[in-house]
Amino acid sequence: MIWRDKSLLSPGEGGVYGERMRGGYRVWDPRRSKFAALAHLDPGFDLEPGTRVLYLGAANGTTVSHVADYAEVVYAVEFAPRPMQDLLAVARRRKNIIPILADAGRPAQYAHLLEPVDLLFQDVAQPHQAAIAVRNRLFLVPGGRLALMLKVRSIDQSRPLDEVGDEAVAALEAGGFAVDSVRPLTPHHRDHLAILGHRVA
Amino acid sequence: MTARYWWGEIDESGACIPAPADEGAALARLASIETPMDGYLPGTWEAAVACGAVPDRAAYLARLNTLTAHLAADRVAEALRGPDLELLQMVRTLDELDSVINLLTERAVEWYATQDPKFTRKFRAMPARRLVEVLAPRSRGPLRGVLAQIEGLGAARTELAREVTRAAARVLPNSSELVGGLVAARLMAAAGSLDALARLPGSGLQVLGARTALFSHIRTGTPPPKHGLIFQHRRVHNAPLAVRGRVARVLAARLVIAARIDRYRGELDPAFIEGANARIDGVLA
Repeated sequence: MIWRDKSLLSPGEGGVYGERMRGGYRVWDPRRSKFAALAHLDPGFDLEPGTRVLYLGAANGTTVSHVADYAEVVYAVEFAPRPMQDLLAVARRRKNIIPILADAGRPAQYAHLLEPVDLLFQDVAQPHQAAIAVRNRLFLVPGGRLALMLKVRSIDQSRPLDEVGDEAVAALEAGGFAVDSVRPLTPHHRDHLAILGHRVA
Repeated sequence: MTARYWWGEIDESGACIPAPADEGAALARLASIETPMDGYLPGTWEAAVACGAVPDRAAYLARLNTLTAHLAADRVAEALRGPDLELLQMVRTLDELDSVINLLTERAVEWYATQDPKFTRKFRAMPARRLVEVLAPRSRGPLRGVLAQIEGLGAARTELAREVTRAAARVLPNSSELVGGLVAARLMAAAGSLDALARLPGSGLQVLGARTALFSHIRTGTPPPKHGLIFQHRRVHNAPLAVRGRVARVLAARLVIAARIDRYRGELDPAFIEGANARIDGVLA
């Protein structure tokens, strides 16, 4: 990925959501995007050009637009109609975004639109986030990477981060993933754990 | 078993049938596909090319982007089409207008008091709305313009309230008949949609809008709320204190039935209304 003076940048047409520009590149703000926060905190996390990405919880397409600047294709799944209106506007200008209005917990609704992907990125506010990742495992190539932005407070309002995180990790490992690392996204995002792993089964 | 993908399908023998090239036909086909996930294998673009559906990778992605964008746009339009969604925005705007008008009026009156040292609201039973009308011609400078704007907002509010009642009678005919269009619309907005309202239990509808009291009850054991938004209906707030909770409960029980008739039948049922009203008024008698 492209870095300049500790800012993460992405190459592409600007003005998607009023992002700042620097030297012709779009500044990718870690406080607005969990993807960028993860890249800032984990120097080993990279998004190589040409990657095929399945993005669950695409929302208004803010982060998706940056991911699409690097990736070959982004399959962007979003459940709510209102944010999908915005995502569609983004997909009109970035033809490598495939917008899908469907429930990420029910891959049967959109399986026929996908192809094998290299990276599964998930950022959904649901109680059963690990189960959603497990159900979407089939779309990863063997050994394909998982980046799960665990929204802890969508799972439990009060229990400590680690405890909820451990349960999610156990569910992922039982479901055919190997977990490589778990880290909180502080200071950029509160109550989020970034779980990185890869498909083993 | 035939494997179905967006670009075509492959049957058991391995023979491939490409999807229709015509966009409308392809979209209709896509809208109907659900993939069984047992033993599922994702399709590949190479298979799509081999099938003759697309010439190359670039065409594969371009066509998929076009088709999915259309499909999603159609589904968004469908999801936003319900008449309850516009009513929901109308009633939320109405409540927002109320609070904006109140805040502005309060502030403008304070401002006016600095221009007119003898001004006081004591011993004058004057509704805020009338007060704004009276002060407007007496005030100076930019305050006059602000007061005129508040009057304009008041007019817009009246107009919108009338429109909400009219729309509620159309979208929520039975609920409106029981508690009036404004309260019925506010209940629907609090539930989130007509669908959500029709799926609520009576006990849930009874305390819609009393969230703080309800959660304080669940967490710390304070007395449970007897009513939420339905308190705004006259038969609840005019009921004697001793039976107010019972009226709220009986009314809520009839209201969820009314909401279900509104959702699934969509027309007024006079026999139901008569029975429900008799039951509610029976508590009060």
